[in-house]
Amino acid sequence: MRMRWIRESVTARTARDRKPRFRRRVALAVAATLAAVPLLAGCTVGGSTGGTTTLTVMIGAQDLTKAQIADFEKKNPSIKIKIINTDQSRLNTMLASGNPPDITVSGAVGSANINARGLATDLTPYLEKSKVLKERDLQPINNSFRWNGKKSGTGPIYGIVKDWSQDNTLWYNTALFDKAHVPYLSDTQPTSYDKLMDVARQLTTTEGGKTTTYGLGLEWAWSLYGPMAAMVMQQGGHLYNSDLSKIDFNSDAARRAFAWYVDFAQSGVGPTSLNPLPDGSDYSTVAAGRMAITQDGYWFGGNFAAPNSLTTMRMAPAPIMGDKQVAFSYSGQGWWIPAKSKHKDAAWKLLEYYMAGPPAVARAESGWGIPSLKSLMSKMPQKTPYQKEAYAVAKNELNHSASLPDSPYISMDLLNTTIDKYLQLAIKKQMTVDQACGALTTDLNKTLAQGKSQIG
Amino acid sequence: MTRKWTRYPKRTFYAFIAPWGVGFVLLTAVPMVYGFLVSLTNFDGSSPRWRWVGLSNYAELIGDGDAWAALVRTLVFTAIVVPLSVAGSLGLAILINRRLRAVGLWRTIFFLPSVVPVVAMAIMWKLVFNKDSGILNAILGVVGIKPVAWLVDPAAFYALIVLMLWALGGGMVIMLAALQGVPAELEEAAAIDGAGKWTVFRQVTVPMISPVLYFQMVTGVIGALQVFVQPLLLTPASGIADVGAAPDSTHLYMVQVYQEFFLSNRFGYGSAMLWVFFLVILGLTMLLVRSSRSWVYYEVDTEGGAR
Repeated sequence: MRMRWIRESVTARTARDRKPRFRRRVALAVAATLAAVPLLAGCTVGGSTGGTTTLTVMIGAQDLTKAQIADFEKKNPSIKIKIINTDQSRLNTMLASGNPPDITVSGAVGSANINARGLATDLTPYLEKSKVLKERDLQPINNSFRWNGKKSGTGPIYGIVKDWSQDNTLWYNTALFDKAHVPYLSDTQPTSYDKLMDVARQLTTTEGGKTTTYGLGLEWAWSLYGPMAAMVMQQGGHLYNSDLSKIDFNSDAARRAFAWYVDFAQSGVGPTSLNPLPDGSDYSTVAAGRMAITQDGYWFGGNFAAPNSLTTMRMAPAPIMGDKQVAFSYSGQGWWIPAKSKHKDAAWKLLEYYMAGPPAVARAESGWGIPSLKSLMSKMPQKTPYQKEAYAVAKNELNHSASLPDSPYISMDLLNTTIDKYLQLAIKKQMTVDQACGALTTDLNKTLAQGKSQIG
Repeated sequence: MTRKWTRYPKRTFYAFIAPWGVGFVLLTAVPMVYGFLVSLTNFDGSSPRWRWVGLSNYAELIGDGDAWAALVRTLVFTAIVVPLSVAGSLGLAILINRRLRAVGLWRTIFFLPSVVPVVAMAIMWKLVFNKDSGILNAILGVVGIKPVAWLVDPAAFYALIVLMLWALGGGMVIMLAALQGVPAELEEAAAIDGAGKWTVFRQVTVPMISPVLYFQMVTGVIGALQVFVQPLLLTPASGIADVGAAPDSTHLYMVQVYQEFFLSNRFGYGSAMLWVFFLVILGLTMLLVRSSRSWVYYEVDTEGGAR
């Protein structure tokens, strides 16, 4: 009985003592929650307050300068721009949560997968009404952003390319050619892949087991599907079937292309995934005078406009395997508006400004790619001799333009890494070229079937 | 008889654990249940077009040679890295747990690598390991060893282990604290009884620091099993394609999971892989907990409870 009294007394006193403090804590918690609400609201994407629309734009860090943003906001006082740097994982999360950015960037080639999943906005109605962006002014690369419900290339347009290049063309350092007493590549006639391999061998130098100068770089880490597809098309073949649901590396043309890559790697004339460059791209090695030729598009010339950069670089046409000249873009970076964007009209205004306004002119004049609009072609730089030569080569290559087949059932990254996996097995002689091509075909067709089942 | 009396009301207890409880529910339980539900779908991570697929992701995982190979590779990697890092950090701690000139400086030097951000560290090692321009091959060249392609198979596995062991300093600090907690009189008593240095270390020091060794081992095993960023940072590619560029020997289980999530856009299948991995880690941890009864020595009685 006495115990019970003590217990009740202690409990009552504890509760009485705690009461005011408890209230204070509750009040504090409520206040903190109220204070957090606006902060949390600030974490969400975009928004409209007091007649001002905030556009959330997920693009590369250098795509829009501060001055260009200020200029746009001055011309459009009701729109503010919030930049998020490109981050694929974050974009996936934002798309999945139904709260995507209002504009984002990706390759026109590779957009089939995005469009098949219904993630992008059809820009055709905006384009039809636009006073600055005209359909007839768009370079053909923009057609890779078209999607007719089954295939890319025709139908409504879901994105606009900012600039592009034919990525299988070549750049070479004449100083290293002179040093090795090798004749320059032709500016007008394409070099055959077999000849290119011979030249690369002559230009490669080694010392004590280390390569001091690479003869040829293929930007191995960036694309394998693009150049191989070009090699096959140049021989009159195709990697994909007509509805892009199956791929075939067993054809003679595909095996020849695959074997060329294996030969390239085994001969040690250039970096591969089994002998990678520290930064995964050719530029720094070219700039250091340690790589004679690199397979890069017109954009690569933008590197040499800066003072004190190499003055001995020249551009050459895309090499050829077979009879037909084919040059195409592996990507063609452009902007698109996600289907669930809440500010599509404002996003289109920024897209117009970026694609046809002062930023587009600045990009065209910089030489970092071929403009997406035909009307801006005349702005491409032609001041220095190398710029004049590169302009002539790039313009000539437009006559051999084709578009890279883009299956909606697989991403470009997965396609490239799967090709690399089997190339490595063949290079290491764990498989013959024929075995690797067979296994690659089976592996990719399994992935394509999964993709098709996913999209339905 | 069940004890009914409590000094404080139950709601005080619940009020105090509520922040943890809310955190556990929102940040652990809900994501785990969500992950399990996703593993029953073919969700691609962004599209609204998904459907329930039952247990087919788990069925596919049973026959996925790449996933099992990655799991075995991860277990081997853990079996190498954890003993090396525990032994290495203990060795460093023993080295500097003595009266040395400028001992503080040595401790700082050994500890420094563990505060360098992992990205900076990986980039530095990528340059060191580069076949043609790396300093490691330059040094090896001086003694007549031919250049080694460290960042590709089979050497990439060892490069990754070096990268993991680079930050031993963090473990060293914990070991040092444990060593300094060993009563000097016990070691002196053993020495007076005729024990040599090794016997003192083996019979006195190790049992006294065994709870810390155990802690390092459990956290080390869980950490090593979940290694993911380092293999990606050692690849030549950048962005999501990194995962495909990781050499076979460093293609650990979490790298394979990331590949399924972000390269193949198979969030459902990736979630199934994560759930299976969770069960594997849980099983391994339970094995370690059971084994600890036979080799971990606690000065306080942990079995008896309140009497």
